[in-house]
Amino acid sequence: MAPRLVVLSLASDFGCQVQLTNMTAELLDVLGLVELSYWQLATSGHMPPDYDVAIVEGAVTTTEHVELLGRVRETAAVVIAIGACANTGGIPGIVGREDLEGRYGAVYGPGPAVATGRRAPLPLDAFIKVDYHVPGCPIDTGEFLRVLSRVLLGLSDRVPDMTMCASCKTNETVCFFDEGRLCLGLVTRAGCGARCTSLGRACTGCRGIAPDANLASAREIAVRAGVPAAAMDDALRIYNALTEVHA
Amino acid sequence: MFFRVIPKSVIPDLVRGLAEQYEVVGPVAKGETFVYAPLADAADLRLDYDTTALPAKRWFFPESEALMRFRVSDNAVVSESLDTAPRVLFGLHPCDVNSLLLMDNVFLGETPDPYYKARRDNTLVVGVSCTPGEYCFCDAWGTDETHWGFDIFLSDIGDDYYASIRSVMGADLVDRYVPCRAITDEDTAAFQRRTAEFKAAFTNGVDTSQLPVLLDAKFDSEIWDKLGEKCLGCGACSMVCPTCYCFDVHDELDADQLGGTRVRTWDSCQFKQFAAVAHGQNFRDTRAARVKYRYYHKQWGYLSKFERVLCVGCGRCTRACKAEINPPRVVRALQTGVVD
Ligand code: SF4
Ligand code: SF4
Ligand code: SF4
Repeated sequence: MAPRLVVLSLASDFGCQVQLTNMTAELLDVLGLVELSYWQLATSGHMPPDYDVAIVEGAVTTTEHVELLGRVRETAAVVIAIGACANTGGIPGIVGREDLEGRYGAVYGPGPAVATGRRAPLPLDAFIKVDYHVPGCPIDTGEFLRVLSRVLLGLSDRVPDMTMCASCKTNETVCFFDEGRLCLGLVTRAGCGARCTSLGRACTGCRGIAPDANLASAREIAVRAGVPAAAMDDALRIYNALTEVHA
Repeated sequence: MFFRVIPKSVIPDLVRGLAEQYEVVGPVAKGETFVYAPLADAADLRLDYDTTALPAKRWFFPESEALMRFRVSDNAVVSESLDTAPRVLFGLHPCDVNSLLLMDNVFLGETPDPYYKARRDNTLVVGVSCTPGEYCFCDAWGTDETHWGFDIFLSDIGDDYYASIRSVMGADLVDRYVPCRAITDEDTAAFQRRTAEFKAAFTNGVDTSQLPVLLDAKFDSEIWDKLGEKCLGCGACSMVCPTCYCFDVHDELDADQLGGTRVRTWDSCQFKQFAAVAHGQNFRDTRAARVKYRYYHKQWGYLSKFERVLCVGCGRCTRACKAEINPPRVVRALQTGVVD
């Protein structure tokens, strides 16, 4: 029997769900393999009580999210976290861990009525066991399809844990640091094919800090290239504000 | 081997002639760097290049290649892909010609790799002499000269090239496409002068004395920990290295999950996942262990099997490694006992 699939979103801009709709060449094949029970962006109707695979986008930023995520984990045999928000806290994570009310107030005015039950943002891993990870802002559809294949075959999660520079070198690019410019590829998890650097844009770290990243050495490299170490730490806040960054 | 003198001015004619039968790949400018790429126009060929971002290995062993297509229902191989397109690699420096010979030891040994072999058998190699760049140290390993592994080697002697011709095919092509003449003693004297200038121009003196002994004697030295503290584990060094040949093979299913492609990609011993095995064990868990392994394998492991070190001194890893880990520095650390 085809697995019943739901796609839902917590705090995010739905960009990764849009990315799923962008799989124009493959979407019909994918829908032929699953029973699509609910897709927040693309179906009408409500979340069903029962399903097998849950694709979750977005960071946890309210108590309602925490409860929903708990129910999803209890119901689904497989949970897939897609996108930077779900995997590292991503853009919602920029608000950080401190002075949440002050920061909401700075944007929405004092004591805003938005986001009831708001709490400091966190990625899914902070609350539940996530079975498969598709990082990136937005996700790469090729990587999503490879992960979905592993889900359907019952293979384990295999998110790459190396950093970006090998893919970048494979694309025959000149390193940003050779031009005295900052690039977060030194510490960022690979897997996107270093697409940004091949298009002339420095890596912004959207796939998260690689588990074995050497931040101390990366800071020294930045300084040698004339980039203050603090600039590297600042840039890391865009997608990795919630990741413990050790000296 | 026999020799011809070829005027530099006719190189575009040679390239155009070759292009009638072959895909001609040579160094071309890409932004601030050079890459080996198919020549759309003979005028794009930049024989004055210093080095290329990636070495020529990708024309025999690409960064990612489809090995075969298969069907899931009965595990049948539907098609195999062997690249047999006739190709000429035009303009390899001596280090890169030598690197192919080191690769051959691995891919064309007892059990030849059919994918590599198909490309190698169908590719002609035209070498060209060079001027040592900032990072070059091929003189340390003797890979600054090459006497086999090419069809034609062009040594710059001013207005002409002193062409060493190593194969029947090379001779045939030179005779067919360009006017050339036999060498004279003056030409050989010019070739010798130019060789002497070339050898005198190296600046990265690497003291390789007793290197295998030092690698064994200093196996537990703290220099490896120091290098491990700097290393990012990024694998950039392996990607750009003309003599790094490790690969990974995996299957990618089509979106409908009915068929798929078996894909081979470059891998690196500097990746933590490289030495991860069943049960979550990893026998080279630290960056220090991985950096040491890379040098140990290149300068001793391969040497003990093939009587050459697995490095041609091209300096690409020196350029690529932002942590400033490179063979001259590692060899210095082995000689002196400290990482400078
Ligand atoms: S630091 Fe950035 S530009 Fe430099 S090699 Fe790494 S990914 Fe490429
Ligand atoms: S180890 Fe470095 S210098 Fe030696 S062949 Fe490889 S890239 Fe070139
Ligand atoms: S030696 Fe340099 S290029 Fe190689 S993995 Fe370490 S940091 Fe990266």
